[in-house]
Amino acid sequence: MNADILRRRFLYQSLTGAGSMALSSMLEGATAAKPHHEAKAKSCIFLTMLGGVSQMDTFDPKPALDKFDNTVMDWSKEKLTDQVGLFAKPRLILKSPYTFKKHGQCGRDVSDLFPHVAECVDDLAFVRSVQGENGNHPAAIFFMNTGHVLPGRPSVGAWTTFGLGTENQNLPGFVVLPDFRSLPFSGSQQWGAGFLPASFQGMMMRWKGEPILDLRPPEAVTKTDADDQLTLLRALNARHAKDNLTNPDLQARIDAYELAYRMQATVPGVLDVDKEDPRLREMYGLNDPVTESFGKRCLMARQLVEKGVRFVQLYTPAQSWDSHTDLIGGHTKNARETDRPIAALLKDLKQRGLLDSTLVVWIGEFGRTPDNLAEQREKPGRDHNTKAMTMWFAGGGVKGGALVGTTDELGWKAVEQIYSMRDVHATILHLMGLNHVKLTYYHGGRNMRLTDTAGVVIKEVLS
Amino acid sequence: MKLLRYLTAATALLAGSARAAGNETIFREKIAPLLSKHCVSCHGAKGQSELSLTTFNEALHGGKRGPALVPGNSKSSLLVAYMRGDQSPRMPLGSTLDDAVWKEIASAVDSMKAEAVAARNPRLDWIFQKPATPAVPEVKRQDWVKNPIDAFVLAKLETKNMAPAARAGKRALLRRVYFNLIGLPPSPAEVEEFEADASADALEKVIDKLLGDERYGERWGRHWLDLVRFAESDGFAIDGERPTAWRYRDYVIRAFNKDKPYDEFIKEQLAGDEGMRGRRAAGEPSEGLLAVGFLRMGPWEADANFDNQLRLDFLNEAAGTTSQVFLGLTAGCARCHDHKYDPISQRDFYRLQAFFAATRIDDRPAAWVKAEDPVTMRRRMRQYEDELDEAGAKFKELEQTLRWKYAAANALKEGDKQIDEFQKALNDKKNATYTAEERSHYEALRDRTRQVTELLARHQPKAYAVAEVAPPDILEVAPTFVLGGGQLSAKGEQVEPGFLSAIAGKEEPAKLPFVGRYRSGRRTALADWIASPSNPLTARVMVNRIWQHHFGEGIVRTPSDFGLNGDRPSHPELLDWLAAQFVEKKWSLKAMHKLLLLSNTWQQATAHSEAARYSEADPDNRLLWRMNWLRLEGESIRDSILSVSGRLQPARGGPGVFFEISPDLAQGFSFFKWWPSEEKERLRRSVYHFQRRSVMNPMMEVFDGANMSESCARRGATTVPPQAFTLWNGELTHTEAKHFARRVIELAGPDPDRQVDRAFQLALSRAPEVAERTQARNLYAGRQPEDALARLGVVLFNLNEFVYLE
Repeated sequence: MNADILRRRFLYQSLTGAGSMALSSMLEGATAAKPHHEAKAKSCIFLTMLGGVSQMDTFDPKPALDKFDNTVMDWSKEKLTDQVGLFAKPRLILKSPYTFKKHGQCGRDVSDLFPHVAECVDDLAFVRSVQGENGNHPAAIFFMNTGHVLPGRPSVGAWTTFGLGTENQNLPGFVVLPDFRSLPFSGSQQWGAGFLPASFQGMMMRWKGEPILDLRPPEAVTKTDADDQLTLLRALNARHAKDNLTNPDLQARIDAYELAYRMQATVPGVLDVDKEDPRLREMYGLNDPVTESFGKRCLMARQLVEKGVRFVQLYTPAQSWDSHTDLIGGHTKNARETDRPIAALLKDLKQRGLLDSTLVVWIGEFGRTPDNLAEQREKPGRDHNTKAMTMWFAGGGVKGGALVGTTDELGWKAVEQIYSMRDVHATILHLMGLNHVKLTYYHGGRNMRLTDTAGVVIKEVLS
Repeated sequence: MKLLRYLTAATALLAGSARAAGNETIFREKIAPLLSKHCVSCHGAKGQSELSLTTFNEALHGGKRGPALVPGNSKSSLLVAYMRGDQSPRMPLGSTLDDAVWKEIASAVDSMKAEAVAARNPRLDWIFQKPATPAVPEVKRQDWVKNPIDAFVLAKLETKNMAPAARAGKRALLRRVYFNLIGLPPSPAEVEEFEADASADALEKVIDKLLGDERYGERWGRHWLDLVRFAESDGFAIDGERPTAWRYRDYVIRAFNKDKPYDEFIKEQLAGDEGMRGRRAAGEPSEGLLAVGFLRMGPWEADANFDNQLRLDFLNEAAGTTSQVFLGLTAGCARCHDHKYDPISQRDFYRLQAFFAATRIDDRPAAWVKAEDPVTMRRRMRQYEDELDEAGAKFKELEQTLRWKYAAANALKEGDKQIDEFQKALNDKKNATYTAEERSHYEALRDRTRQVTELLARHQPKAYAVAEVAPPDILEVAPTFVLGGGQLSAKGEQVEPGFLSAIAGKEEPAKLPFVGRYRSGRRTALADWIASPSNPLTARVMVNRIWQHHFGEGIVRTPSDFGLNGDRPSHPELLDWLAAQFVEKKWSLKAMHKLLLLSNTWQQATAHSEAARYSEADPDNRLLWRMNWLRLEGESIRDSILSVSGRLQPARGGPGVFFEISPDLAQGFSFFKWWPSEEKERLRRSVYHFQRRSVMNPMMEVFDGANMSESCARRGATTVPPQAFTLWNGELTHTEAKHFARRVIELAGPDPDRQVDRAFQLALSRAPEVAERTQARNLYAGRQPEDALARLGVVLFNLNEFVYLE
């Protein structure tokens, strides 16, 4: 069948039967009928650290940096593919300005940038050896989200929702919570459905004011007004659809209005942060302007997965971690904004027994270099590094306290148990009950996959 | 492996493009017998993994995993790699092969001469051959054939024993024509007039009228702006404004309205600044300069760390977009490696890119053209200059006062450096030095200064254009190199500008015309080659785009990819016939519109008595047994609402309009402020909205608006809940519904039935049915007529019938 008609039919089905009630029929005939194997996690919270976090200043201590501080790093043998210009000039190794300590029963190293997350290390599985393919932000962010360096492909959230559907027919299956101070490059394309049916795209929600733009009509419109309007809309649309059977989109559009109508009633109830215990709000950092943005969104994420939303993605502001200069200023600020909220999210989920069924992923688009430009020594930073990045998993199906991968002495390159971004994708899908090889969608002449032609599950992080 | 392949390709290409005749013989004599013994049972007719190995060409073309054989390089030949066990699973599957076999094949492969041009998939041959004018086919139902388009379509239907749909109703046709050509609904009077006109050429008269209407250019200009990734800002983190980019938008609208021949339109956009061409353009010397804005429309990383990379990005983007837009080929894919699917080598890409090597970006002085109303533009420019002087002086004065206040409060005297810290005190709301009033006064003046500065920049007689850097200004045009993996650090062979070898049939450098001193003539050479009737792709690609906008889908449904990964044409002969017509009619778009719209094919209804049966056989309606449904774009939905409410402002052209955005979105910008235009301005057509890459109009964003980062050849038509939120609850709908209610009362008088009738006529171009009228009348219960009609307006604007064209 042609992809486009399939897409349309699919869309129609997915909108009419987005609930558990019709989940099986909705996916009937499609490639992803139900989980391929028993799922360890029902939902995923994806914490996106935009700009690229420095591994040697957070979770991958490199004492050798102290020894070689201010000395020249030898790049001559490396084939550099990105930011060539930066490596053509004199460069000096930079020791980490942060102090590392061992934490938890597993004795995991965490720098003083993340004192709160450090309390949760026994629930985290770190991978220190993830490599990317492209060292430019826009391409790398697209790759992290969609497995492709250009826009236009479905994001990991869209794939997951496509594979599993949603558990709550009154809410979208995939919700995105960006920081409105600065949206990620290409905005909604980062969480688009690509060639998958549009209903699998992420829906952006706001953390201040109404969570969804125009969720409700203007204030002057009364409940009676709204109801009367809807009654007439239904009647006229039904009359029109009866005569026009060649257009399946008409029914899809009628259903979209019904879903929107239901969401109008459910969304505000779901996302009522004020009703939460003040101590919990404090724990998430809602009383502090520094942590308020990320904290509120972490709390919203918990509320959403609690209500059956399949995939929630949070973003730090665009480029926030991108400390080419002033590493101390940039990383300290970003860690302060996120550390407390992330720890609160993990503890809150655990306390409610939700951590077992929720996968939490912490990741950026790439890591950073051990050295930087000699000319920027006044306020030094670190440059992009696709050869090594540290990320972690937590929650459903994840072996807490695990440590995977090793980088070289200076932390610039993964040398053992090397994994790629595609492997991270494969692992996420695996934990959600999906086989990344089997989760396909026919498009442009081939069965497309999130992991394209690669990807292995990172077994070492599985419990 | 990748690197090896690239090196092979690069060295191989040096050897020239002619296929080494000996290779095929080597294959036939030494390799084929072994393959036929060990491999062909699976990789023959069965085509396991899409790979067949029965002929040399098939082996070159390869299968799912890429070319199986690379002449002269057994190490890069997958065929050998799989047999040797370097790739898993080892081949032949399930049996062990004597090492001697693959060694023999390897040595035969190595003895081959390296080849330049990748094997071309036979499926692609048609696009590289100039369209012949195909004979119009014979059909049984001659009476249905209004023009040859119908014959081509009907002939296909008849072979499948299918019949076309009936003609659409008059009202449906009229709405279709209006939205197709001007993007707005007809007025009730226009509907009445058309329905009363029983003459055979009633529709033709309407088409002629609309093609002469300036709103046509606004509608079709928008399609072109999608394609050329038009935006008025740079994108990336800063997303700085391009203050005169709007002049390119108006140039495009003018070009459509004037029915500028498409070949001329291409030439102006690629090389309008070169030589005499710019001045020739209808006596308006600036048109050519405005037109080349096309080359600069891509995103631009203004704060990029590396000038060389930025330059490379510009060249790649210009070359890639040119290829996509005019030739329907994704040559940009060959930036890092030979094209995986189409016969475009990496070397070809850089030869194409070399046409832009002498091009530099430049904001050039360009006198106002007549259509821009030079008198007004100059008057406004002077006005803003004066305002800026005034506001600037006031601002300075205030700053001075505030400075002194700070000095006095902190016992500082003139010359103390600390005085400069008064800014900090101003920004710090808790600082007691200043009152809230002083702060807001300061901010207001500062903002006003910034705003007038922006306004002034938008009214400068400048073109967002390019210029040439060529001898004798410099010794030679900067050389172009093939870049390994697309990386600046991996400079390979130097190349000269040359046309895509798959089309040109050769790899010789292009002949560059003399277009004047200080100009290389490179872009002129490229423009002339593209805009030539003998280019096999140019006309086909454009007629397919026109077709798509009228029919909802192209004859090739991937309008910017005619390559292997793209769609096959549903009616190849028709496409060729139309391409020939296009050239014959002197590249006139308006002539093509008329041809298409006057066909019976286009005038079919969307319904068909045999729809159920036909849908089984042809679910996508590729054979055109009925008309496709068309969903209005976000622009048309918004413009229609304003048109129906009677508030659409007809003003044309000029700097972009700043629509209103939600405050939290407005806060998200670090590098600019967003000041909405005055209401009267905001009520203009959507095409005049300021196109900031990071700020999409909410209506366009939810209704699949064109992403401004890259060429958009086809809008999506998705259905998602946020559309319902925007259209059902949004400010625009509710405000315009109120105006709509007042307008209806004004037109219909006090009788509720007449009011409802009028409301339907305005919004849907038809009167309500009895049942519909009764249902609508329910809204009057407990409401004043004006309120009831406002509710009705909200409903009408949200109906499927409002956003879908039958």
